[in-house]
Amino acid sequence: MARSLVARLTVMALAALPMGVAAPAAAQVRLTFDKHPAVEFGNVLTASVRVKSQNHWRDFQPEPGTADKNVFDPYRERIAVEGKILNRVVYHVEREFHDTSSPWKNIYLDARLVKGVHLQGGQFNMPFGLDQTTSLMALDFNYHSLAGSYLAPGRGLGVMAYGDFFKKNLLTYEAGVFRRDGDNTRPAQLQDTRVAPTFAGRIVVKPFSKWQPLHFARSIETGVAFSDGVLPAGLYDLRGQTIPGDAFVPKVYVNGRRQRLGAQLRWRPGPIGIQAEAMRTRDTRLGQGIDNEDLADLVDRAWYVSGTWLVTGEHKKDAVTAARPLLDGGFGAVEIGARLERLSAGSGIPRMNAALYGPRSPVVPSTADMVWTTGVNWYLNKFFELSANLIREDRALGGSATPAAGAVWSRTFRIEFGL
Amino acid sequence: MRRMRITHIIFLVAVGLCLPMLHVSAQSADVPTSIDPLLDGSTLNDVWIHINGRDWQDLHATYQTNTYYPVDFEWNGLRVRNAGIRVKGGSTRNPQKPSFRIDFNRYVTGQQFLGQNAIVLNGSWLDPSSIRDRVSMALFRRMGIPAPRQANIRLFVGAGREYAGVYAISEEVSKPFLNAHFGDDDGYLFEFNHSEEGNNWHFEDPGPGYAWFIPRFSPKTHETDPIPNLYRPIEDLIQAVNDAPQSDLESKLSDFLDIDTFITELAVQNFLSQTDGLLGGNGMDNFFLYRFPRTRLWMFIPWDQDQSFVQLDEPPSQNMAQNILARKIWDEPKYRDRYLAKIMEIGRSVSAPAGADPASGWLVQEVLNDAAQVREAVYQDPLKQYSNDDFEQVVGLMQQFGRQRDLYERAFVAQIAPQLLSVSGTSRIPTLRDRTSR
Repeated sequence: MARSLVARLTVMALAALPMGVAAPAAAQVRLTFDKHPAVEFGNVLTASVRVKSQNHWRDFQPEPGTADKNVFDPYRERIAVEGKILNRVVYHVEREFHDTSSPWKNIYLDARLVKGVHLQGGQFNMPFGLDQTTSLMALDFNYHSLAGSYLAPGRGLGVMAYGDFFKKNLLTYEAGVFRRDGDNTRPAQLQDTRVAPTFAGRIVVKPFSKWQPLHFARSIETGVAFSDGVLPAGLYDLRGQTIPGDAFVPKVYVNGRRQRLGAQLRWRPGPIGIQAEAMRTRDTRLGQGIDNEDLADLVDRAWYVSGTWLVTGEHKKDAVTAARPLLDGGFGAVEIGARLERLSAGSGIPRMNAALYGPRSPVVPSTADMVWTTGVNWYLNKFFELSANLIREDRALGGSATPAAGAVWSRTFRIEFGL
Repeated sequence: MRRMRITHIIFLVAVGLCLPMLHVSAQSADVPTSIDPLLDGSTLNDVWIHINGRDWQDLHATYQTNTYYPVDFEWNGLRVRNAGIRVKGGSTRNPQKPSFRIDFNRYVTGQQFLGQNAIVLNGSWLDPSSIRDRVSMALFRRMGIPAPRQANIRLFVGAGREYAGVYAISEEVSKPFLNAHFGDDDGYLFEFNHSEEGNNWHFEDPGPGYAWFIPRFSPKTHETDPIPNLYRPIEDLIQAVNDAPQSDLESKLSDFLDIDTFITELAVQNFLSQTDGLLGGNGMDNFFLYRFPRTRLWMFIPWDQDQSFVQLDEPPSQNMAQNILARKIWDEPKYRDRYLAKIMEIGRSVSAPAGADPASGWLVQEVLNDAAQVREAVYQDPLKQYSNDDFEQVVGLMQQFGRQRDLYERAFVAQIAPQLLSVSGTSRIPTLRDRTSR
């Protein structure tokens, strides 16, 4: 059902293109190739093509009982068309070629209603999680954080109002209602049509954005986010996977409200980028015990802190542009960074008799993955980027989780191409 | 924060107090420490499956799938937590009173219930008496064939402990069973799955490739072995059976099968008039196939014998011609005589001695005792598909088997191989009239 809606949205968005083309004959057609190939039909329609490609080479430590992973991973292969209709409505259609199960990603229309109020409708990231809502081409590391990947809701089908108040984005807000929970959840939940709509919102403030004396602090932004929805009974607790992608959080029955709370911080003084998030999810388990009794809420937590430094001196921003690109009189831009993060799930009670743990048990085995990521990003020019990450996990696993516990090392290398 | 800690401490203390209940080797004198009282049939036990109400509904709604749901299994105060339950069975699968497999280590690695990894609860959907399978297995064991132990239980379900009817509880043919009977579990065990495509199998050679084998023989040990390792030995067995000359089965097949054991299994099934076994009307069915470790020797282990006690006057030759190995046995006088002699041995073993009250024989007594044990529970079974009259009628037929089946078999043998009748040592062959006149 959701997929057919996405397909309908896609058709509508694509149908809008020729409508715009067929409009005034007098419209001036202009082809451009600045950063992306684009076409403009006067003020009627603009369309630019985006290509996003990320290919990984991975070296994962062998783990008994887990499936072998290919060294090469075509992580992201996306193409997108975006632009404006009548200079008022922004559209975006994006397709992933690597993910055959849900190939359509961000598909939405976006228009400004009045000053300070935009309305966005379609399928897009729910306003929760700084890392999760950061474009994959702007990530500082090869993988999203565990918090962003598994506790943040991800992408959903819905309508969202957003905007800002005061000058210099002193306060921005996003608030939306989405047909179901996001797509970071378990596949079985994505198929369940009984999942109720989810509300999500975020407020971000830049308290020092207008403060001249503390120039270096002007880029500090901090915010809080929430989501609130209702799940039907099912094995729908949130996932948790190790860096190589093996599940370490056992499946548990939930039923009732799912609430997320998150806090975020970002500061980019010059070439330095500092970012941190903490989030908590709470799933109710009404009537989910073996004898139909209510079970204690399930609480998962995650946080991360990361820092990056552009050693070549460029200013840190989402899309880093090398001041002196490679083969254009320079070496490109080089950035080093580190991230410490942790995801934990379960009852938080010390390990007990294994027989106490089950999908309907009051006690959920406590599991946690603490991850250190260090990396180097080399921005060759505005199209290419090379990244290498060295990752160390310290896993504390309970129940009958298959992946190995303890310290596990991974290495990844990525070639990224963006157009 | 402080409140959370207090909650945790209270919880830990509560769990600590409950821990002794979780151990199978419980210290309390009231809690069983052996599974024997549950499987030996001495009493009608009560088993309580604790299962979430929604799971119980889903289990019935999706009874054609093998989806597992978490349950606690309780018997006599012994509660095993976080076992898994799924519907099992082939043509007898039904949403009203399904059969179940309880897997004790589904969610808890290595968990066992009194030495068992899993047990089976059979709803006896096609057996109005609920005891045909149990009595049949008892006869196999009586004749020296390893067969799973079975008994009847009253099943209670859910938080409200609702009565869900009489079930036959059976130990599963798996590693604990192999260890108990053969002292080793390192061999290759397969469960035979009857094809529903009308492609009945009677030991015919399916030809090259393993595609035919994979859906029919499910490995229960060495499950992750490469396909050729699993199925080439079965292919060799089938080829050996097909190639072996009728006159010299023993020497040609001795590496693959113990002919006397196989003959005994055929004889038991014939005596019981089993219509869905090795010589069933739809080809071979309801067996496990076990290859002993480091040998090529196979053995058939009987399973699900509830389609027995069907035809009192079934001849010993029933369906023998359809099965390649059975036909070779039947067509060769020396093997046929051993088969008939075994049938008569079974008859002597289960029937009353000549001159004694026919109701005093082992088989009649077994039927009477088992029926008496389950009668009231069957009467009250809310989910059975047969009437109480059906129960009494089938139990009556089973008693009749106990009294007369031996006489029918002897009458057949008298026509085919009269010289065998003297083997029994009886000077006068009792006639059917002798038994029925009492």
